Amino acid sequence: MSPRTQLVRDAQQLDHACVQALIDRQLPEGGWPFNSSTAQAAVEPTALALLALPSTSVRERERAIRFLFQIQNPNGSWPAFLGDGPEGSGFTGLVVYALTRSAAGGTTTDRAIHWLLQSRGWESHWLWKWKFRTTDRHVRFDPDKFGWPWMPATVSWVVPTSYSLLALEDGISSSQDALLQLRFRLGVGMLYDRICPQGGWNAGNGVVYGIPLAPHPDTTSIALLALRGVPLNAFVTTSLDWLERRARFCSAPWSLAWAILALTAFRRTTQTLITRLASVVESDEVADCATLAVASLALNSANGLNAFGANS
Amino acid sequence: MKFDRRTFLAGSLGLAAGATTSLLALPKYHVNRRRPRSRVAILTAESYSEDLERILWHGLNLFHLDIRGKSVLIKPNLVDYIPGNHVNTHPLLVCAAAEGFRRLGAKTVLVSEGPGHQRDTELVLIESGFANQLHQQRIPFVDLNRDELFERRLLASYTGMKSLWLPRTILESDFVVSMPKVKAHHWSGVTLSMKNMFGVVPGTKYGWPKNILHWKGIQESILDICATVPVHFVIADAIIAMEGNGPLNGSARRLNRIILADDPVAADATCARLMGLDPDRIVHLQAGAQFLGNSLVARIDQLAETVCFPEMPFQTVPEFEYLRLKSDTERRP
Repeated sequence: MSPRTQLVRDAQQLDHACVQALIDRQLPEGGWPFNSSTAQAAVEPTALALLALPSTSVRERERAIRFLFQIQNPNGSWPAFLGDGPEGSGFTGLVVYALTRSAAGGTTTDRAIHWLLQSRGWESHWLWKWKFRTTDRHVRFDPDKFGWPWMPATVSWVVPTSYSLLALEDGISSSQDALLQLRFRLGVGMLYDRICPQGGWNAGNGVVYGIPLAPHPDTTSIALLALRGVPLNAFVTTSLDWLERRARFCSAPWSLAWAILALTAFRRTTQTLITRLASVVESDEVADCATLAVASLALNSANGLNAFGANS
Repeated sequence: MKFDRRTFLAGSLGLAAGATTSLLALPKYHVNRRRPRSRVAILTAESYSEDLERILWHGLNLFHLDIRGKSVLIKPNLVDYIPGNHVNTHPLLVCAAAEGFRRLGAKTVLVSEGPGHQRDTELVLIESGFANQLHQQRIPFVDLNRDELFERRLLASYTGMKSLWLPRTILESDFVVSMPKVKAHHWSGVTLSMKNMFGVVPGTKYGWPKNILHWKGIQESILDICATVPVHFVIADAIIAMEGNGPLNGSARRLNRIILADDPVAADATCARLMGLDPDRIVHLQAGAQFLGNSLVARIDQLAETVCFPEMPFQTVPEFEYLRLKSDTERRP
């Protein structure tokens, strides 16, 4: 058996184990908590688990979808967790993406996209734009380039912007909606604007008080996945190169799994990373359901199945 | 007396002004934790070594703490891992504290934190050496960013927010120990035991970073959080502190000290003095001294070494230059 075949077989076996663990941890209402020792369903692990479950897990997927439908806010957004307020969270884009991939879109996701098009980082407001241009200039960024916040009444950050771009990407090629096109373009522009000088992304800014910030592997990977539909450019390739170097000495399953998904989407080699992820996940009891779901997605990508697709 | 329209208008304006003044004069806190006196112990520690356990045990015994049967939660300052930068509370000090509380008879001791920027808490734990140390000492860790959440009414109203979602682990702990890294901070002036409590606000709800707290005012948020989540004890890591552009990219500054206290305001005021900064000019310390603890030298019993001001105050970013005590007269307690 070739090393590649062995790798795929090991990854498949471990992926089955991850999927089974996810099934075991699904809460009665259909969602997943972050930590398996708690019973509060949260939106991010639920959306990621929905993406990770194979199509054969019909009953579990249906329950997850029903749960997400039930907790959608009246304004079309999603809360961060069960019991959260109705104002909407930065995870809304990820839920739209997961439901669309599960062929469960329709009116529910249309309402969410409508909300996403209205939601914007506060730096887009003329008053704050003026403030960031005149009195508050310690963070280097262009407030004309804005994306999405974690919660209303705050500025844009990389992860909620990337999740929102993933949600909007399906409409980009088919829709003539000018606002959708504009928001997508601005969101991509925001990511390029906030990139770290060495490539990759920190939580939201690249330079603060004149000092370059260090990129984070998970944030960088999610941003790259959001950018896989745009033509390759220097921002993307520099960030991919940085991620490739950083992933070599990363052994935390969450970051490693996201890095594998991003690098696979851009057709970079990930065999050694998958082997390392397999050993980390196997030896460790992964209590966090979101991490378990991303690990499952990453292991599945060894088999050529990337839930986030590939760069065209 | 003639009661015409002009009198009515003047009277109404007077009443409105009076009401507004009374409202502004009302205290913004609904709890008072300030005791008549507070206790602080400044201990010398030359390095991060196994010897910390002995030094800390000696320090803890000065306080005669009764924590038998209590659940102790240690909240270090764990922000991000940047090789070469002294960003986080040192893991050896955190483990020495955990061992000390176990020896004092705590029912449980756990370490928990919700990093503000880095979403992958496990990555920070692994790369900063925490994961290894905690594993070796069998100390459990809870990621507060991903814990079960409950909404709690705030016990102060400096931000104007009515409530905050807080992690179950912090709400269920009997004895909360804030373990800050002593640092200058480019947004808040300093980050000490009170600012360290930002880490209990969960990222799942408020994002990475917890940007809403910045928009509501960092100093105001510190006060609301500390009013709502009581800090029972402080162990501050000032063996190697940080000056300048903290909390991530400042320069290392050796103080060779650990500061223990049974009051977060007294702890932070003492740390500020050790940094050569004026605690009365730090907004959250000045306001916190009204209801969260004591900042006045006269109300603080120093159980170990006395406060000595550094010859050169800590560097800050230009916006917080005014915190520095510049002359000998200013530095005299």
